[in-house]
Amino acid sequence: MDLLQVNDLKTYFFTEAGVVKAVDGITFNVEKGCTVGLVGESGSGKSVTAQSVLRIVPRPGKIIGGKIFFNGEDILSKKEDEMRSYRGKKISLIFQDPTSSLNPVFTIGSQLTEIVSQHKGVKKSDAAEEVIKALSLVRLPDPEEALNRYPHQFSGGMKQRICIARALLLNPELLFADEPTTNLDVTIQAQIINLLMELQKNIGLTLVMITHDMGIVTQMCKCVVVLYAGNVMEIGSIEQIFQMPHPYTEALLKAVPRLDQTRKLVSIPGNIPNLINPPSGCRFHPRCQYAIDRCKDEIPPLIDVGDGHMISCHRWRELNGG
Amino acid sequence: MGLAKYVIRRLLYMIPLILGISIVVFLVMYAAGDPIQIATAGNPSITEAQRQFLREYYGLNDPIPVQYVRWLDHFLHFDFGKSLYGGKPVNEIISIYFWETLKLQLVSILLAFAISIPIGVYSAVKQRSWFDYIFSGISIAGVSFPVFFLGIIFILVFSYQLGWLPSAGAHGAPQLWPVFGIQNPFLDELAHLAMPATVLTLAGLAYNTRLLRAGMLEVLRQDYIMAARASGIPERKILLKYALKNAIMPLITLLGMSIGFAIAGAPATETVFSWPGLGRAYVTAASRLDFPLIMGITMIITIMILVANLITDISYAAIDPRISID
Repeated sequence: MDLLQVNDLKTYFFTEAGVVKAVDGITFNVEKGCTVGLVGESGSGKSVTAQSVLRIVPRPGKIIGGKIFFNGEDILSKKEDEMRSYRGKKISLIFQDPTSSLNPVFTIGSQLTEIVSQHKGVKKSDAAEEVIKALSLVRLPDPEEALNRYPHQFSGGMKQRICIARALLLNPELLFADEPTTNLDVTIQAQIINLLMELQKNIGLTLVMITHDMGIVTQMCKCVVVLYAGNVMEIGSIEQIFQMPHPYTEALLKAVPRLDQTRKLVSIPGNIPNLINPPSGCRFHPRCQYAIDRCKDEIPPLIDVGDGHMISCHRWRELNGG
Repeated sequence: MGLAKYVIRRLLYMIPLILGISIVVFLVMYAAGDPIQIATAGNPSITEAQRQFLREYYGLNDPIPVQYVRWLDHFLHFDFGKSLYGGKPVNEIISIYFWETLKLQLVSILLAFAISIPIGVYSAVKQRSWFDYIFSGISIAGVSFPVFFLGIIFILVFSYQLGWLPSAGAHGAPQLWPVFGIQNPFLDELAHLAMPATVLTLAGLAYNTRLLRAGMLEVLRQDYIMAARASGIPERKILLKYALKNAIMPLITLLGMSIGFAIAGAPATETVFSWPGLGRAYVTAASRLDFPLIMGITMIITIMILVANLITDISYAAIDPRISID
């Protein structure tokens, strides 16, 4: 069963320079207990998608269309108060930079117990106990001691463990991890990835892994959603996207260094487009090596090309021998 | 490192600073002119011999280093000498004016601080709303209108036209100012404070709200605010607890600085409202080169600013755990 269904989600930012169509008709589902990769370059709409599901898109952003169902319930029609009881309790989010996502002037204990007492209305001492439990779960050394400390007294990796503990405090069903390892050292990255995988398995968490790192995707995810410039390019299993990828996914994969092949890294020419005036037709066409005139004029629909492999491309079939 | 040790070290650092400032002011003062000449300029019957006698009497003929050392010796015994005008001890003059200035300034600074918090927070939250625009306008007006201009308008309206408030002084003398027909020493003080304090509050309010608004806008963009939202913390608590404690730091700096400078008084405001304060006394002393009074007030201001800076630094460490005092 699908825990999360996102249908034709549109989240725009109404800036002074114009309307930035950061998320422009994104559709995907997340199966319960699964780890789904949300992949794309910076500015493809990954983070805004997660923020939209929690309904915490910062101003001047606004969800202007589409539907989001969580456990079959329509999230976008909920009142703000009810929605707030979902945040942290049913759906959680961890951020890219653990340093900036912890409030520097409050102790770890005060920040985390506040969340528990907010949702459960329990006594401070009981809340602290739950916080210690969560901090032990992410294997933070000396969790009792940590309560009285401030964020700057921890290393980056430890801070990210604290952030994960914060996100898991109330046993949410769905966790968005927004590039949780991008700002960490490589060795720490591996620890955090392993921790997330272990937690996912042990507590049956449904995890949406937002990343631009194809290595992490292959390691963690069963299913991948590839975003580009606010649109879904491709949805498929790891095997599907590696064997018969969308042209954009193919370009992404070629940009990943590999040890078993001696080939040059290929960067994708050009930049991610301006989302105030996105390209017509397929948004990837100006950078696509297979683009034809039709790609410029006609938006390719997202269609199932077999076994749940969804592709938004006019030329995919012919390129893959169809 | 302990707080006591830190404070002692900072106090020791103040000694060379105070000495340096006193030397500079001493030299500038002597370069500015001859106080006896100024004092006697309006009196044609005074002879040069009498002037010479006065200079001798006040020790103004000695070499400057000798005079400085003599002043320093008195200063170290907490004695600032006597005013050249009226011969009153400077200590006595300062102790009268000091409290009047402190009262006016503290009331204005704390009012401006307290009022700016809701306005600054709300302007940031409702950025680009009519509320934000209106208070931006008031702030710009508050900063750009000179205090003496605003003060005179206030006096015209509330004293001359309406007759509600006294136009001068800090106390009603010989009679208390009646507030709604009641004569009471406390109400009298309030009535005298009302206009100068309002003018000073308006001037301070503008800076404070701008600073807090900018700080809040900056903090509200941070990930930890979004993280708090993502954890289901109510918006009110996010703003008034999580964001405000971070955004208020620059305001604390300003508060500390203003309390230090407060003792210098607000010469313009004190002059307009004939407030018996240090600011006005300072201006008068400077205009007639009343050396002992100038030095006395300068030293009090210097010490107050240095102490206020010290308190500001300590309060930083109390608010922001990343700052430690050592």
